[in-house]
Amino acid sequence: MSMAQRLLVLACSRSAGEALAALEATGQTLPPDVTWVNLPCGGSVDVLHILRALEAGAEKVWVLACYEGACESLEGNRWAEKRVQWVQALLQEIGLGPERVVFRAISPTMAADLKAWLEEE
Amino acid sequence: MIVAERKPMVEILASIQGVSRLLVVGCETCVAVCLAGGAKEVAVLSAALRLALRERTSAVEILERSVERQCEEEFNAPLAEDIAKVEAVLSMACGVGVQTLAEQFPDAIIYPALNTQFMGRPEAPGIWAERCLGCGDCVLGRFGGICPITRCSKSLLNGPCGGSSNGRCEVDPEHLECAWQLIYDRLARLGQLERLYAIEPPKDWRSAHDGGPRRTTREDLRL
Ligand code: SF4
Ligand code: SF4
Repeated sequence: MSMAQRLLVLACSRSAGEALAALEATGQTLPPDVTWVNLPCGGSVDVLHILRALEAGAEKVWVLACYEGACESLEGNRWAEKRVQWVQALLQEIGLGPERVVFRAISPTMAADLKAWLEEE
Repeated sequence: MIVAERKPMVEILASIQGVSRLLVVGCETCVAVCLAGGAKEVAVLSAALRLALRERTSAVEILERSVERQCEEEFNAPLAEDIAKVEAVLSMACGVGVQTLAEQFPDAIIYPALNTQFMGRPEAPGIWAERCLGCGDCVLGRFGGICPITRCSKSLLNGPCGGSSNGRCEVDPEHLECAWQLIYDRLARLGQLERLYAIEPPKDWRSAHDGGPRRTTREDLRL
């Protein structure tokens, strides 16, 4: 696998995926060096997905999932955040910046915030 | 099961310093169940090592394997070809698995990637706790199925000590229940409290590791 990409986004399709769809409905597109992967739920993010992405050359990985209490699978968002924290600790242990992996809570209505985050990154 | 946890990455990285071809081998039995050393953990550790070594030194080639039970030579035999190709092996099995590889492949350099901790069970998701010290002369039948040797911080056979308070052990009240409270409650429930009138004699520790390394022989299984 090769991924000379700046940013990989692992996204809960029910929150972040909807926000992206709303953004795209306004004619916006993702920057070319951003790879977006919709997952059924934040809970399906695995530490290995994140590590493999970094190994393949992604500079940063974002995990976007629902706000506390908003996950349709109840706790998928909390698992997603836990897994991000676990990878951050591992990166710290091996001397890489934990900031390369970021967890963010998002809702389907946050297209404008998503746009701003992408511009800031 | 045998419970283990991954060693700190600095220690693992120090052990394989200078190695350019490495085999990481997991075990699909106890350490896979306690999420420390199965195929998944082999993949995660190997990915972490590739990331760490990419930043620091020249490229390292890492082979990833996992066997059904690393403590039995039959399951390790298919590793021979891979072991011949690498400079070192990082075993994610318990100490028994690591030693089996070392005995079986006398010319291979084998490093442990885990710290083997205890015989225990998962108490809740993400929490494993010790239950048996392998004393070789099990007393569970006299103590309501609760091991005073393993679960009492002082291994008291005629407990409790004076530090038992509100069901907690004085050694670590936050995390440890008093084993003797558990024993009392369980025997009460079973209607066997009279067992506690018996004074337990000093334990003969020769059946435990104190008597030296142990082995079991079953003549009926030998020709
Ligand atoms: S009495 Fe001995 S064999 Fe039985 S559970 Fe305790 S340590 Fe293990
Ligand atoms: S408080 Fe209970 S478990 Fe702790 S040392 Fe005393 S008798 Fe053993």
